[in-house]
Parts: sequence; C-alpha cells; structure tokens
Amino acid sequence: MEATTPRPASHEKWELRLYTAGQSPKSLAALDNLQRLCDKHLAGRYSIEVIDLLKNPRLAKDDEIVAIPTLVRKLPEPLRKIVGDLSNVDRTLVGLQLKPR
Amino acid sequence: MTVEEADELRRAIADGEVDAFVVGAERDRRVLLLAGAYHRYRELVERMQQGAVSANARGNILYANQRFCELIGAPLLQLYTRPLESFAIADDRPKLARFLANAAYGSQVEIGIERREGPPLPVRMSLASVVDDYAAILVTDLRPLRLQQRTVELLASIRKTLEGAGSEPAAAIDAALAQVAALEREAQDLG
Repeated sequence: MEATTPRPASHEKWELRLYTAGQSPKSLAALDNLQRLCDKHLAGRYSIEVIDLLKNPRLAKDDEIVAIPTLVRKLPEPLRKIVGDLSNVDRTLVGLQLKPR
Repeated sequence: MTVEEADELRRAIADGEVDAFVVGAERDRRVLLLAGAYHRYRELVERMQQGAVSANARGNILYANQRFCELIGAPLLQLYTRPLESFAIADDRPKLARFLANAAYGSQVEIGIERREGPPLPVRMSLASVVDDYAAILVTDLRPLRLQQRTVELLASIRKTLEGAGSEPAAAIDAALAQVAALEREAQDLG
C-alpha cells in the first residue's frame, strides 16, 4: 500500500517561522527560497515570521533550534522543522507535506 | 529532539546547508557562526551610518541593517520579503526598478523614499556587491548633502546681496541672518 501525505486544504492558513542568523549567506538563501516556494504553492494564504537569532539568541529556545537556518511550520499542525537553506525544492515540499514523500 | 529531527539536522549539515549553530543553554545561549569573519562584517554593517539592504534578484528585501530601518521608520520584521521598490515614492518607482534590473557594481540612483512619518527622504542607492544573485545596496541619506549645497548657495546669495546693498546693508544682513538661522534649525533636526 502506498503511503499518502495529507494534502493542504486550499483555505488553510499557513504560519511559517524562519530562524536566521542576520544576513549570513544561508539565511539570505533560505528566506529567498522560502518566499519563492510560498508564492508558488501557498499564494495568498501564508505568513512568514523571520526571527534573527543573532539579535536574540534566547528565542532559539521556543522551537529548540540547534542549527541555522531552520524553518518551522507552526500551522497547519503538526509542527514540522526543516533545517537548511531550502535550496532543494522537492525536499522542502516533502518536508512541509506539500508533496508526497 | 526526535529521531526524525536529528536525521534532518544531520542531512542539512552534511549537505552544507547551515552556516550557524545555537550553542549554550538558557541565558548563555548564543549563535556560533561557521564563518568567523562574518562577525566582524556584521558588526561593521550594523554600526555604519549608511543604510544597507540585501535583496534578491527580484528586489525583495532579505535583510536590512538598523540604519535602514531608522530611515524608513519601520522595524526589520516588517521589511523582510517586501519589494524594495515599494518604499520609493510613486514617481521614482520606475527609476528604482531600472536600477535594480540593470544594477552593476558601483551603479547609483537617487530617489525619494516613503517613511512612516514625515516627508519623503531623498536617498542615494548604490550597489555595493552582487554575490550569488543577492545584491548588497547601500542607502545614503542625502539630506545633509542637500543642506550643505543650500548653505553654499545661500552664502553666495548673501554675498551678492551685500555687494548691492550700498551704504545701508542692515536690512540685507537681517534677512540673510534669518535664512542662516533657518538652515541651522534644519541641520539640528538632522542631528
């Protein structure tokens, strides 16, 4: 039997949080890749909150962030984390459950 | 950390997709950047008197320093991913769009930018570098320069007036002093 991935409902609101380290190269790339991906797959129903851990490292505690950049899908639940610059679109889509594994 | 999260972390590190780690615990938590030189670069960018913006190829803001946030009058949180063009006054948007589309190292453009409060701000944008499709743009507040230009013009005008004032220069001097005082007030407002 083939494993299925729940597809997002078209009205679902997506809340994404990206943890960055200022304008480090991987942080810039992650935000750029994330915005492009969201514009293409979640147009009009997503929000991105960027948290710069260089400015406030203590905020890493909230989502137990270890490496930067890290993307956290807050909504829809369940919470999911994707570490890295999101340059691999397919893997990011799978990680966000926007595409079957 | 779950097994799945640990695997994701291992994969991202192996693929070279991370460039910083959070180390320590509770109050001692801090960010360790893999490229040590970046610390000094960042310190410089944050302390400089010019605004600095990193934008992607489409002109969306990926990062801005504190000075740029001050010039715009908005926190960085509200600037992420917004098109840089959206901050230009309407008349200057085509000019900025051309600059962003054709920008090469050292190219410049002078435009007015909207601020949360107050009149538009005259700025000069200069392309400092383009690395991996990301542009670093310096934003210079032109108000001090414009003030300086007006001061020079005013002094030239005062000199001309005095030369034509003949034996009763008092009124001309009073008028000139009032203009100088007005400029001084503007300069004080700029800090």
